[in-house]
Amino acid sequence: MKWITARRRHPLAGYVVVILALALFGVGYAALAPTAEQAQAQTLAADAPSQENVDDVDIANGEDIFNQTCATCHNYDGSGTYDENGEILRGPDIRGVGAAAVNFQVSTGRMPSMDPDAQMPRKPMAMTEEELADLIAYYNAQIRTGGPDIPYDVPGEAPERSSFEDEASYEAALEEYENEYDSYLEGADDTQMGMQLYLTNCAHCHGWSGGGGALTDGRWAPEIHDATPRQIYEAMVSGPGAMPIFSDGAIEPEEKQELISYIKTLQAEPDAGGIFDLQRVGQVAEGLIAWVVGLALIIACAIWITAKQRAHD
Amino acid sequence: MSKTTQAPKALRGVGNFIDDRFHLAKTGEKNLRKVFPNHWSFMLGEIALYSFIILLLTGVFLTLWFKPSMMEIVYDGSYERLQGVMMSEAYASTLHITFDVRGGLLIRQIHHWAALIFVAALVVHALRVFFTGAFRKPREINWLIGVAIFALAMVEGLFGYSLPDDLPSGMGVRILQGVMLALPLVGPYVSMFLFGGEFPGEDIISRLYMLHILLIPALLLGLIVAHFMILWHQKHTQYPGTGRTDKTVVGTPMFPAFAVKAGGFFFFTFAVIAGLSAFVQINPIHLFGPFTPTSITSGLQPDWYMGFMEGSLRIFPNWFDLTIFGYALPTAVLVPGLVVPGLIFGGLAAWPFIEQWITGDKRAHNVADRPRNAPVRTGVGAAGVTFYGVLWLAGSNDIISETFSIELYVSTYIFRVLAIVGPILAFFIAKRVCLGLQRRDREMLEHGYESGTIQQLPSGEFIEVHKPNSDGMVDILESKPTITSTALADDADTDDKGVENPEARKGSGKLRRALARWYTKDNVSFDDVEAHSGHHLHHSSHEEEKEAAH
Repeated sequence: MKWITARRRHPLAGYVVVILALALFGVGYAALAPTAEQAQAQTLAADAPSQENVDDVDIANGEDIFNQTCATCHNYDGSGTYDENGEILRGPDIRGVGAAAVNFQVSTGRMPSMDPDAQMPRKPMAMTEEELADLIAYYNAQIRTGGPDIPYDVPGEAPERSSFEDEASYEAALEEYENEYDSYLEGADDTQMGMQLYLTNCAHCHGWSGGGGALTDGRWAPEIHDATPRQIYEAMVSGPGAMPIFSDGAIEPEEKQELISYIKTLQAEPDAGGIFDLQRVGQVAEGLIAWVVGLALIIACAIWITAKQRAHD
Repeated sequence: MSKTTQAPKALRGVGNFIDDRFHLAKTGEKNLRKVFPNHWSFMLGEIALYSFIILLLTGVFLTLWFKPSMMEIVYDGSYERLQGVMMSEAYASTLHITFDVRGGLLIRQIHHWAALIFVAALVVHALRVFFTGAFRKPREINWLIGVAIFALAMVEGLFGYSLPDDLPSGMGVRILQGVMLALPLVGPYVSMFLFGGEFPGEDIISRLYMLHILLIPALLLGLIVAHFMILWHQKHTQYPGTGRTDKTVVGTPMFPAFAVKAGGFFFFTFAVIAGLSAFVQINPIHLFGPFTPTSITSGLQPDWYMGFMEGSLRIFPNWFDLTIFGYALPTAVLVPGLVVPGLIFGGLAAWPFIEQWITGDKRAHNVADRPRNAPVRTGVGAAGVTFYGVLWLAGSNDIISETFSIELYVSTYIFRVLAIVGPILAFFIAKRVCLGLQRRDREMLEHGYESGTIQQLPSGEFIEVHKPNSDGMVDILESKPTITSTALADDADTDDKGVENPEARKGSGKLRRALARWYTKDNVSFDDVEAHSGHHLHHSSHEEEKEAAH
């Protein structure tokens, strides 16, 4: 008798088949579904990281990047593509959005976008820091007519190992970055103000923990755990997507620092209540766990202690 | 217990001392030998009892440090992140319990997890009682008490959730106030009375505290004791089986076997709750921050047992809002906030009496129904569960939208449709499943069970060998009652002298007959079935025809 023949009528055989089928579908889907990383790699395959100095920007290279990756939707002069009724065709006018918006959109990987009609999720940046600097230099020089500047005094991305030639210079840059980051957050000492600003202005979309949330019309407020302080700042001053603009007049830079410090400190806060934080989703996840773990275990125990041997079946 | 062995002298002394004074030996022995039927589903109520005990014990611990005061203070405790923040004393004292009281956070989490499991156990216990018809006479009063415990437990949980005065609790109280304000005429007065002025005022925490630790627990405790005394007096229901009738109970004696099981079960329940509390973070109020009326956050829900209320508020449309003489009548809040829970709890409370009215069944039932043998009741139950479940899911529609990338408004419409279509579908599906199971039972009774052995006959035909059921199984299968109603009896319309029954002519009489027809018409009859009389058995290896044991 074959191995399978002996076991296929086993009481657990059905469950095994279901689990195998689910696993097959899950793995199959994961293997076949296009991932964001692959999609980007197709557009920007040619760009290898260069080792040139960040200060030494190359406006001509920026122009190339703009014409290759941005102009399809935003037009060569950044005026956007519109139909005769003034509706956006592929991309809006970006002449007045400012360098802060460009830096935000590109550094969070949202631009260049694969699908102009869909809200873009956060992804790894599609170009190197140097290329972004070139792009911004070109944007500032040739396209920009207004809008907020990049807040260079707010800490941005941590340095990456690949942009340094040796370990020592990378370590030094990382330490410098971390000092800058810590001093920015510690420079804010009014938790009351940061909390009030965050909970009044931000939490009704991004959630109390910055975990994000659903919005109307199929949009969503993204999770902001991975956002750098500079990106949060830029989002506030440029108002990407459905987000309103919180200009430096409405919320002053010091207040923004308090706000960013509040949310970053909260996110770094350890979970005092246990090693499983349920992603800080809250009551929905807690209710689920109470039923499918808590109550289910207790009922399994009840079944166990009242079980008795049946004559058959 | 054996009477031949004597208890140790010390125990005898204590026993005699007590018995000389309280004469407990006789009642004690009777109660200790009380029989408990053995089935896991009879333990569900005990989960609720044990979590309630855990709630009482941990709740007492928490009251030692909790300060039910809304006085604004500047926090300077040991939780560094919130130092210098203005907050109420209630919130500050909860932080104190969390970070400064030894074991405080663990006890708080045990209290919260136990609350979630308490209400969940109430629900599954109530479902067991409903689907097995254990609410029927003589247990209707205990069913009503159970419904009251369920409703009170929800309110108790809501108030407890509101006490720490953190961000979600303030939002929960705000929704509660919104529902109150929607009451016609009296709404604003009720709200002003409860809050001692405008929201949030300075009284609400201390008032909710009194309700949460004094009034409602006392009511719950009283109702739970009454529930148990009635249970003790009326005894458990039991599932059909050998020797089990409306007059005899089969099971394990209370002492020692059941007491050991129940005691062990308490510790297991406690272990699961304590395990969850030790490893899974729940309601981290120190991360939420204190509530202020300007603060609001997305993605926050009430605890699960209030989820269906949240859901009904979220999906009920505002198409029916009225303005009468310049006064708004916000039906979009009123209906989901009051009518929907009223329907659910009112329906639960009324069902035993509705069913009794339809069937005219005034007999006492101590043998529970198998759910399949009461298909309409099971269908109604499934419809109710579906309705509740859809509302409950709708309460987390933002989390669902975000997690599964569904548009928020689309999800609202999906839930609106599901809330109406889902229960109807569930009714018919559940009823059909029941009838299918009845047919299977009938088949099994007639032919025995499918053994899984394939046999080839000399003619070359293949058959599956059916084997005779055990005697116990035959008893279970043959116990199927035929559901009847007195409204459909031959003499229901006219008496034996041919005089028309005035009751049956009235509208209510006609309604009752229509309902009775609906309730009884679907039935797989077992009347002509004799156990193991089917032809398959003649081929089986056990050739001897087993007589059905009675």
